[in-house]
Amino acid sequence: MRKLLITGISGGQGRLLAKRVADSWEVVGVDRIPWEGAPREIRMTTMDLRTKRFEDIFRVERPDAVVHLAFIRHFRTDPQVRHEVNVEGTRRLLEHCAEYSVQQVIVLSSSYVYGALPENPMYVDEDHSLNISRTFPELRDLAEVEGLVSTFLWRYPEIATSILRPVNTLGYYVHSAIGSYLKLDLVPTVSGFNPMMQFIHEEDVSEAIALTLEKNLRGVFNVVGPGAVPLKTALRAIGIQRISVPDFIARTVIGQLFRFNLYQFPPDAIDFIKYPCTISGKRFEQATNFQPLFSLEDTFASVVR
Amino acid sequence: MNLGGLLHTGVESLTSFTDFWGDLREELNAKIDAVPADVNEYGYDPWGFNPEVCKRAFLPSAILYRYYFRCITNGADRFPKGRMLLIGNHGGQVAFDGAMVGVASILEADPPRLARGMGEYWLGTIPWFNVFMDRVGSAVGTPKTCIDMLNREECVLAFPEGVRGMNKTYADAYQLQEFGLGFMRLALETDTPIVPFAVVGSEEQAPGIANFKGLGRMLGMPAFPITLTWPWLGPLGMVPLPTHYHIEFGEPLHFHGDPNDDDRTIREKVDEVKATIQSMLRRGLAERTSIFF
Repeated sequence: MRKLLITGISGGQGRLLAKRVADSWEVVGVDRIPWEGAPREIRMTTMDLRTKRFEDIFRVERPDAVVHLAFIRHFRTDPQVRHEVNVEGTRRLLEHCAEYSVQQVIVLSSSYVYGALPENPMYVDEDHSLNISRTFPELRDLAEVEGLVSTFLWRYPEIATSILRPVNTLGYYVHSAIGSYLKLDLVPTVSGFNPMMQFIHEEDVSEAIALTLEKNLRGVFNVVGPGAVPLKTALRAIGIQRISVPDFIARTVIGQLFRFNLYQFPPDAIDFIKYPCTISGKRFEQATNFQPLFSLEDTFASVVR
Repeated sequence: MNLGGLLHTGVESLTSFTDFWGDLREELNAKIDAVPADVNEYGYDPWGFNPEVCKRAFLPSAILYRYYFRCITNGADRFPKGRMLLIGNHGGQVAFDGAMVGVASILEADPPRLARGMGEYWLGTIPWFNVFMDRVGSAVGTPKTCIDMLNREECVLAFPEGVRGMNKTYADAYQLQEFGLGFMRLALETDTPIVPFAVVGSEEQAPGIANFKGLGRMLGMPAFPITLTWPWLGPLGMVPLPTHYHIEFGEPLHFHGDPNDDDRTIREKVDEVKATIQSMLRRGLAERTSIFF
């Protein structure tokens, strides 16, 4: 059996993916926190990706494929640590992949790299520019990671490198940005704005990663779920009480709350509940015949508050 | 007559007054239901169009269409099946012409078509209006969105003059301003027939005296027109005069060629469309007997 290394295996997506591919791959994993109750056939090591020990995993295990999920997606940590883990962590991982002749690398990015801008076309494809740093500097590490991976993709044509950019991921296990937004006690929306938003179930994302592994894909792929609805319709479907706030008040209040650690999202995140950031999943569909299993209704029902 | 009786008569006449568009509402609702649209289980199409919201939103426009501007529409039977681009003249300071063409495509065409407007980028930043725009099937007019819509057999409405046409002064009424080339490239790329249309009546609804572009830019708007009533009467000044609207849809025009040709080649094709619309306008103006009646 070929060997797969999953970084960030103790996170929601890591666990789902490990279980999903355990039949066809020998799975080894690393994470900063242990995975309590991991299946016996999955071997995991607790470590920080930024330490020298990380290289030993490659030296000892010699994985055939790597799925990189070890990213800090929330804003509760020091921005410096976040940047170091995400960008420096990815750079080291890619270095090791090249050195220890890994054949396949998959990096889980996000549709957020395109940024939410009022002039955004709907359903952009993979060639659209990555505008996230323009309006949301706290998320610029996302674009930097993608930059590193695309350079790697062109420098090592013999390695099947791919970047997946899934839309807003919902579900029981995954701690996504949109998931934590929906778990806020008071979910804010912006008065007079109600952008179309796409959603995907966490297990469909695992399926997409598994398909990417199976088809040995190379390139950048948007991954979309069953469809799009306006944000406020989604909130109603999930059964969430929301509070509508005018933009300028929201930015001031949220800015202050964020500064004092009373709110999880920086004010720039407001753009994502104001303007569209929708993507087209055509390329991935054509490459893999991927069809999401979970409908919008199922996806909304999977949100536990 | 006592007060109660007076009140009763008042309410009754009010009900009969509101009733007079009851038939129109039913007609509009039935036609919107018949629009070919791709809505999901929550009632939205991929771009945010919602037929139920649209029914309520289009009713005021439909009332204006029938009873205020008393639109006379010709040629809606010329609409091709499937994808099409509606291209026409723009005028009258506020885009009532767009709304009227939208209503005409629903009420007069068979099957009814949802004319999807391509708005200026800044419209996407206006609270509430941006949502309204999505719900009635329009969108911020990026080439990508337009191509996607046409590839899915939608009907796209565009005014290639943009604000150049809408906010010109009355001295230039019905003189087509410079056309953008974008629509032709999109038509060539998606192999879409162009249906030219001419609106007569829009220019007199709010004759422009001047346009202070600089002031508009300061306020974040593409124009700041001065009319007989605006801004002197405040918001009331935006109410259009009850001109008689004539909308004519022409024969579909088919163009072939490379969408990435140089501007000169594309401009030749655009000029052909422009000349067609200009001659339709000239004919419409010649046939018009009165501006208001």
